[in-house]
Amino acid sequence: MIEIHGLAKKFAVANPKKLSEQEKQDPRLKGRFFHSVEDVSFKCDAGKVLGLLGPNGAGKTTTLRMLSTAIKPTAGSLMIKGVDVLANPIEARRKLGFLSGSTGLYGRLSGRENITYFGRLHGVSEQEIRQRIDDLADLLDMHSFLDRRCEGYSTGMKQKVSIARAVIHQPEAVILDEPTTGLDIMATQTVLNFIRGLKEKGIPVIFSTHHLDEVDELCDSVTVIDKGRNRFNGSLDEFRGLSSGSMHESFMTTLTEQGGH
Amino acid sequence: MWLVFRKELMELLRDRKTLFFMIALPIALFPLIIGVVGFFTSKAMDEAQTKVLKYSIVGAQYAPQITDALRQSDEFDLVESVSGDDFAAAIREETLDFALHIPANYAQPLLEGGQAKIQLTLNDAGLNMIQQRLKKIIDEEIERKRKQAFSELELSDDQQSALLEPVVIDKQDVADKRENWGEKVGGLVPYILFILCLQGAMYPATDMGAGEKERGTLETLLISPIERHHLVLGKFLTIALAGVTSALITVASMAIWGLVLGQGMAITFVSDFMASIGAIDFVLMFLMLIPIAAIFASLLLSLSVYARSFKEAQSYMGAVVFVVIMPIILATLPGVDLDGGWAWVPITNVALAIKELIKGTMDYYALIAIFASTVAIAGAFIAFSIFWFNREKVLFR
Repeated sequence: MIEIHGLAKKFAVANPKKLSEQEKQDPRLKGRFFHSVEDVSFKCDAGKVLGLLGPNGAGKTTTLRMLSTAIKPTAGSLMIKGVDVLANPIEARRKLGFLSGSTGLYGRLSGRENITYFGRLHGVSEQEIRQRIDDLADLLDMHSFLDRRCEGYSTGMKQKVSIARAVIHQPEAVILDEPTTGLDIMATQTVLNFIRGLKEKGIPVIFSTHHLDEVDELCDSVTVIDKGRNRFNGSLDEFRGLSSGSMHESFMTTLTEQGGH
Repeated sequence: MWLVFRKELMELLRDRKTLFFMIALPIALFPLIIGVVGFFTSKAMDEAQTKVLKYSIVGAQYAPQITDALRQSDEFDLVESVSGDDFAAAIREETLDFALHIPANYAQPLLEGGQAKIQLTLNDAGLNMIQQRLKKIIDEEIERKRKQAFSELELSDDQQSALLEPVVIDKQDVADKRENWGEKVGGLVPYILFILCLQGAMYPATDMGAGEKERGTLETLLISPIERHHLVLGKFLTIALAGVTSALITVASMAIWGLVLGQGMAITFVSDFMASIGAIDFVLMFLMLIPIAAIFASLLLSLSVYARSFKEAQSYMGAVVFVVIMPIILATLPGVDLDGGWAWVPITNVALAIKELIKGTMDYYALIAIFASTVAIAGAFIAFSIFWFNREKVLFR
């Protein structure tokens, strides 16, 4: 179970004069600080998939990065499987599989070596790493390129290796930041099937996306955030019920409705 | 820590650029450059040495010995007439290489005519051997004139040499050959070693800090459950190893090629000199690379970790070269010795220690100061890297 409550994060603005007009009009800019995330809460139970939606710059990535322990929140609490992320970040890192949106691979190492390195960093035994990589290569269809150097990989290959790397240590909770962005249809389907596999194992998954059809296909609950605040929290059915039309309309409704859920 | 070290090393060894700069360049290119430069210099020297020189002479009748010697030698070619006797113009036009103007008093014996001033007109800019080649002939003349004067004065051999050199300083040097040459070579060796070490460490350092940010692998690395100081130490060791290796490979390559290409004479000199340096001092000399590599690696790593991008890191590294050269130059200044305060100045103290080791006058207690100041400096930079890795700014600055 992943639970976050009242999460907030502000960044000091180094040079306020450099901000664009649009940024200056953002209500999140207060004095010398930019409140990237002001108040975000959601909960994802075991075996459930939560879709995190929101326009660009809404604070999705910042929220997920706080969950990953890469950055520390200014306020709020984060719990992963009963572990307080803020009090015990190393323990939280062991329990969490995280794929960042801007992740990269070591180009001079092969896909297998990349995954192995992170497996070792997580303290997984050599034999287990080998076994896991074999399983993941089957699941993510990576056998054909796993032993080549990463520098020649396509976007889809890189993303598959990155996902495998994120889950090599059998995490108890998984967070994926825009896992399907930039992928072709087949690769997207592989990734979505993989998420479904995690769900079947009872692992809670949070993923952010801009594709509502993916949300429709996979998610049990939906959270929409905009300008650093929750706009909607609820089940997929409740989200659909927001408008009589398509999912897109529901999404637009959450943004125009002030306050939300 | 070793996990990080092993992976970084593997990645480094897979990089063609690194291998090229670390191994191929010193082994093949340096000797090639030195060889090509040497070849052209010796060719130019040869040419200046053997070229037939065109000359003109005024007052030839006063010095028949010089005139004959020049005429008989096939290295010189007499130009009979120069238009308007304007030698300077002829030399500039290159129809003439030099002109001699012999004064009238040359013909007279020394004691009567006094000092004879021969005027040599030439273009002395650029490589030429005119004066050296004339010297052979003129020296004979000086000897002849002296002898003539001495026999006229009826001086004994002792009186003659006393007259030529009334006072002679007989130098009794307490410094042996090793100390003497150590002082001369000792300043240069650390200079080359340090720069090579810095050069070798630079690329891996950039790659492992700023490069990791740029490729987006740092975020994933930081959220893996590894302690920050393990991460930093693993990277630090890799960079230090790269620096030492690259310096050693280059030095070894230079030494081997030097022996292969060197002249017989130089080889005996070099090997004698090497043999006079004891094995312990020799090993210590290369052990001195460890504190240097530690300082460089920690400094470069902290800059690389601080930099936002590969490019920013590289521009910092450019500045580091100047900062590093300063203390090395300090060590070559006269009066700067490995005692008291200087033993505590990082980099300078190692440069001085290498010089002392080559000279064979090392005070081994200074090692304490050297290692203490190195540990302090390297420790501070490593601490900064760890501190910076612990801040979220390392990812988003």
